[in-house]
Amino acid sequence: MINFNSAKYLYDMEGVNKTHIQLNLGNSKFKHIVIDPANTDYQAILEWVEDGNTIEDAD
Amino acid sequence: MSKAAELAKWGEVSTNGQVSGRRNVVINGAMQVAQRGADAVAVGTASGYFTVDRFKVFQGATTDGRISMSQAAITDLGGFSKAMKFDVTDADTSIAAGELLQIGTMFEGQDIQGFKKGHSDAEGFTLSFYVKGTAKTYSVELFDADNTRHVTQTFNVTTSWNRIVLNFPADTTGAFDSDNALSLYILIWVHAGADYTEGTAATSWAGNVNANRAVGCGSLFSSDANELFITGVQLEVGSVATPFEHRSYGEELALCHRYCNALLKYGTGNQNDNRIYNADYANVHGFIRMGYPRMRDTPDINYTISAGAAETDYSSNGLIQLFNDSVTNWFIYDVLLEKEL
Repeated sequence: MINFNSAKYLYDMEGVNKTHIQLNLGNSKFKHIVIDPANTDYQAILEWVEDGNTIEDAD
Repeated sequence: MSKAAELAKWGEVSTNGQVSGRRNVVINGAMQVAQRGADAVAVGTASGYFTVDRFKVFQGATTDGRISMSQAAITDLGGFSKAMKFDVTDADTSIAAGELLQIGTMFEGQDIQGFKKGHSDAEGFTLSFYVKGTAKTYSVELFDADNTRHVTQTFNVTTSWNRIVLNFPADTTGAFDSDNALSLYILIWVHAGADYTEGTAATSWAGNVNANRAVGCGSLFSSDANELFITGVQLEVGSVATPFEHRSYGEELALCHRYCNALLKYGTGNQNDNRIYNADYANVHGFIRMGYPRMRDTPDINYTISAGAAETDYSSNGLIQLFNDSVTNWFIYDVLLEKEL
């Protein structure tokens, strides 16, 4: 699991469905993780949430 | 390869239909491609892809051992100019039960149907690779992720290059799914705690038992003087190892792009000819768009941004499409797309 400062949901064009989780890695670096149960990076984020952490909603 | 072995292989390929075409299912077996960079330090704290494409380091539990990993230039092995190198910087001689360090490459099920695994006419697996380094015994495991089955063998490393050839039996139980998901691992175990070594080695395909996975495996971390070089990794159908199948750099790079694509001048920090502009540069409501060859599935995107943050991501498989309606003059650079198994 990479280190990151915060996590936030991104939505589709209609603003209805969550498509990605945007990780702020610091120093203007970002990682967008596709929300897909088969995505191992997404699975790691779900474990991070299970540990009591929170993904912020979009601005 | 001896004449007898050549004849044996010819007889085998004549009967299993592999007369022509690609023999090696491993991508980047000659370690030519390293899109993320050639060097990584302090490897051992987490699993990940650090240097050469398609080869992942797996770490389990907490070890004090650390390695520098690199795509090393080599001149002492004919036919190869690159190898994956592991140089121990911090030793770990107190191995907890759950510790492990593996070097792995993985396969989509749809790409390995030729092994006919799970069928009555299943084929064997022949794995070959070149190694040198500190004299040690390590383990190699084939792990079927679809059916949670495995088979393992040990091999010896010496201070000179040797080609290791390992024949694994056919498995008539448990077919590989024919899709784009992970079906098979090749795992080279170079450090293992008792949880993985205290059983009886699974020398025939069997349901996974952790204690049987790395029996007899030594530890790369036993001294900070240890090192290990690997190249020429090949996995092929049948029971005879053919010469390593050399492919061009361009061909290997294209194959790697299905899993990882470093765009433009990724990793340089260059903000000029490494940038993807907001199409409406001087105004807000700007899209960044860039097409790329389709990958295994829609990838995760890593990037650095000039200012602010992308507010929405409309990307799909083959197109980066980010939107921001509050910042002008923005662009991204050092873009890395990942859809590894």
